[in-house]
Amino acid sequence: MFSRWSWVACGFCLVLNICSPDASSGLVQSCGHIIPESPVLALGSNFTALCILNESCLDFGNIYASQIIWKIKNRVVPKEQYREINRTVSSVTFNDTSSLATPLTCNILADGQIEQNIYGITVTVGLAPEKPKNLSCIVHQVSRFTYVMTCTWNPGRHTFLDTQFKLRYSWPEEIFPDCIPKDVNNSCTITDIQFFVNTEIWVEATNALGKAESDRLVVDPIDIVKPLSPQNVSVSSGILPTVLKLSWENWISNAVMTLKFNIRYRIAGDTNWMEVPSEDTASPRTSFSVQGLRPYTEYVFSIRCMKEDGQGYWSDWSEEKTGMTTEDQPSKGPPIWRIIDTSHSPASWTVHLIWKALKPFEANGVILQYEVTVRDKSCLSCPVKKYNVTSTNHTLQLPEGTYEVTLIARNSVGASPPSVLLIPASNSKAPVKNLRTLPKHDKLWVGWTAPNTYVLKYVIEWCLVSSSSDCIIEWQIAQGDVQGIDLKGIKPFKCYLITVYPLYADGQGSGQSVKAYLKQDRPSKGPTVQTKKVGKAEAVLTWNHLTVEEQNGFIRNYTILYKTIDGNETVVTVDPSKTEYTLSSLTSDTLYTVRMMASTDNGSSTGPDFTFTTQKFGKGEIEAIVVPVCLAFLLIVLLGVLFCFNKRDLIKKHIWPIVPDPSKSNIAQWSPQVPAKHNFNSKDQMYPEGSFTDVSVVEIEADDKKSFSEQDLKPFDLLKKDKSTSEGHSSGIGGSSCMSSPRQSVSDSDEGETTQNTSSTVQYSTVVLNGYRDQTPLHVFSRSESTQPLLDSEERSEDHSGGADSTAQRQQYFRQNGGQDETNTDRPCFERAKQVTHADEGDLVGFVQLQISGQSSQPLGLGMEKNTQEAALSSVLQTCTEGQTVRPETVEENPLPVDEMPKSYLPQTVRQGGYMPQ
Amino acid sequence: MAAADSPSAALRRDLCSRGIRLAGKMRADVVDLLDAYVEQQGLDASASVAAVEGVPLAAVERWDEQTGTQRLLENLAAYRAFRALLAQMLEEQREQMGEADAGLGRALAAVLLQVSAFAYHLEELLRLESRGIPGEEEDGPPPPPRLSLFEQKLRGLGVLRELAQWAVRSVRDLRQLAKPSPATGAAPDLAESP
Repeated sequence: MFSRWSWVACGFCLVLNICSPDASSGLVQSCGHIIPESPVLALGSNFTALCILNESCLDFGNIYASQIIWKIKNRVVPKEQYREINRTVSSVTFNDTSSLATPLTCNILADGQIEQNIYGITVTVGLAPEKPKNLSCIVHQVSRFTYVMTCTWNPGRHTFLDTQFKLRYSWPEEIFPDCIPKDVNNSCTITDIQFFVNTEIWVEATNALGKAESDRLVVDPIDIVKPLSPQNVSVSSGILPTVLKLSWENWISNAVMTLKFNIRYRIAGDTNWMEVPSEDTASPRTSFSVQGLRPYTEYVFSIRCMKEDGQGYWSDWSEEKTGMTTEDQPSKGPPIWRIIDTSHSPASWTVHLIWKALKPFEANGVILQYEVTVRDKSCLSCPVKKYNVTSTNHTLQLPEGTYEVTLIARNSVGASPPSVLLIPASNSKAPVKNLRTLPKHDKLWVGWTAPNTYVLKYVIEWCLVSSSSDCIIEWQIAQGDVQGIDLKGIKPFKCYLITVYPLYADGQGSGQSVKAYLKQDRPSKGPTVQTKKVGKAEAVLTWNHLTVEEQNGFIRNYTILYKTIDGNETVVTVDPSKTEYTLSSLTSDTLYTVRMMASTDNGSSTGPDFTFTTQKFGKGEIEAIVVPVCLAFLLIVLLGVLFCFNKRDLIKKHIWPIVPDPSKSNIAQWSPQVPAKHNFNSKDQMYPEGSFTDVSVVEIEADDKKSFSEQDLKPFDLLKKDKSTSEGHSSGIGGSSCMSSPRQSVSDSDEGETTQNTSSTVQYSTVVLNGYRDQTPLHVFSRSESTQPLLDSEERSEDHSGGADSTAQRQQYFRQNGGQDETNTDRPCFERAKQVTHADEGDLVGFVQLQISGQSSQPLGLGMEKNTQEAALSSVLQTCTEGQTVRPETVEENPLPVDEMPKSYLPQTVRQGGYMPQ
Repeated sequence: MAAADSPSAALRRDLCSRGIRLAGKMRADVVDLLDAYVEQQGLDASASVAAVEGVPLAAVERWDEQTGTQRLLENLAAYRAFRALLAQMLEEQREQMGEADAGLGRALAAVLLQVSAFAYHLEELLRLESRGIPGEEEDGPPPPPRLSLFEQKLRGLGVLRELAQWAVRSVRDLRQLAKPSPATGAAPDLAESP
């Protein structure tokens, strides 16, 4: 930066010197300079610079100090900081050097206000070094004769300047070369170290703004040595199986430094180190015998050292060396237990003797064989059986009894103490009490309360409960003075069945069992629920228990969650022992979704959804409806039958009217000249009153009109007026039977010829104009050409027709009709029409035909009804046309009393027939 | 006992202790150096060497009758002589040997430092005895006559052997001085001794 500025400054000077008288000399001179030249300033201090103009420039260029402008970089320094000392010197003052920057230039405004640079300087701002602190040194042994001393310190704050650090050390009469750190400013290593002389060590920090020294550290380097760890460590087994001898070499001679040691060792495969007591190794040595080790065990050793007086530092641990102690006889007998299988025969046992291999520290060597001795305690004279076994189990076939089994393990050195197991005939002793479990990290603690009597040992059996395989028993023996042990190797989320047997000196207690989990989880799945039975308001749900593998813990409860599609979910908690539950208060005919959740202490799992629909009717509801209905129906039918039975005569009259036997008729006396009135009278005499329900008209074709009186023929005249088209062709039947409709007229005309052709013969004609009891009205015009008397069946069929053969019957009707008119004058015409329809549908034929012919259907007043007997036939017809609008079915639904039925017929019959003058 | 507990007594004891260990280490280093030197210079370890001029002999009659000051002064004179001789040997070594023998040079320099440090210990002990420290001769010992290279090697061997001897004697002397008792009582007598 400075060089660049110098170049620029020189450039300006060159310009200025062009006008200078000295320019001809060839030397380049600037018109001024700044004092001080390139200063290094303490951060935060004040600073004053002077710009001094050359005298030679004053006269030639008219340049004076008052024209000087100070600039920092390209920023003009405020004039307030200037001071004109004289005409050639100007000063600038900065109260805080932190505002300074490089370059600081002195400029001048020449003529024409042209700013020209006179001189410039670089300004360096920083801090003086702080006193180095926390000086400490350590002497590292690099090789047998080589030591280096490394000292470290805290260099203090950053100075923003190039600061040199020097580590200096000296004896009182000798100063050694300084140690200059490389690449760092807080440590340095001295390679030329002499022991046994107090050495003064300190650090100097120096930069442009000053120098600082640390506190002086006076130390004999021998007191801060970190020696090399012992080398060539070796381990050798001693005479005793519990001793190993450790040997090594030291890097430092005793002349330089006497050492003390630390020896640590551990069993191979173990991570825990043990240490030889430090006082045992506090003196210089090159070997040590470690005692109290386990026989036949591999040990790992390591050693370190430091100055004997404890000054200095411990060396690193040496490389690890292993050694193995020699064998010794087994320290204890193997734990033994039995499993007795009595499945074949209770009297003959299959005894599986099982024992555990001794742990290495118990076996003290390689177990070559086990010696099993079985003695029958109930048979003192029986010989003792001995077996040599190399495995850890042995199976015996023994009769039921009490046995003492002794087991000895043998290695190359000797035999173990015997393990004795008493197998009693029965486990009749007291069991343990209050058996319980408690998880402890990765172990499962099993605790119990001891029986009151002294217990020799406890045997703890446990096995993993599985739904798919048998329980594989593991076992462990605990001493009689403990009341709890930790089971290892227990898997989490698995159910274990744990049984504890107390072993007494003279017998064995029965086992107490408990199920336990080391750690529980939520079930792996939820129960699958389904319905067993669904009713109107209840549903019986069933499910299967989760398998033990699925439970992952103790199932504390089941939870049933059910809801309708749009309803809230209902929750029911169920005891875990249940596999069935009845949901009640359900809504009938509703789809429900139900699922089931199994819960352990650590969570729940839900099974799949199941849907069912409640029934529409509850149990017995249908029966409750159907049975009464059926009973009611039967009752009605019964009543109907009874009614019909009671009224059978009347019914018979209606259904099977008695048709006069033509053979008994007085046809020979019957002639066209005889007035109809006589015929009626004869009929009336022949049949009892009211026995006819229908009208049959028997006409004699030839010259009927002549036989009628004038009064009788009037209605026919009226009909002729209305139906002039059919009149000419209508037969006597049509006219006499009140069938004056066009349809009937047509029918009449169709048969007109036949009628005329047979005019000389007697003809029976039956006209059925309306259906019988809902049957389609059938208009039948039958003409019998037979001269034989009518059979009963013919009489029945004619009963529906409006025939005019029964004048006597009509007379009966007329009387009944008159009574009715007096008592029932308020009834509207249509009601009467119903009665008419029911009573004698044949009589309605005329009305139907009239309605079809386009007569007015306006209802008629009661007054008109009163005058029906005297009214003109036309008005009667008009009145009764209204009655035709009522359907016959309605009549059937409301049957009238039998005694009332004829009353409604009378007026119509009279008018229709028109035969009977009143 | 009070004197034993004073700072000067503690310092004296510390100086003696440190001096003993320094002398012991110096002897060990010199013995190692002798082996390296004999091998390096191609000498026979059993070669006999005449007494080195300017070095007082370590062996002395009636050693046990010497005062503490006498012991200190004799030791100081001997080690000052060894310092000069070793410095000369180091210089000759640097001239004769190349970088390949830097190890021997470093060992010589280390022993030289130990000799200097031991001389410093002796001077400090003399100060504690309130005795003036004899000044070193300004001109030092007369420059040895120009010797042949073999003679230089033999002289070097003689210097190291004598230094090893002196190291042993110094340990014994300082141990004698470290004993609290009669040495201080004999101090007035010592004042009269040269």
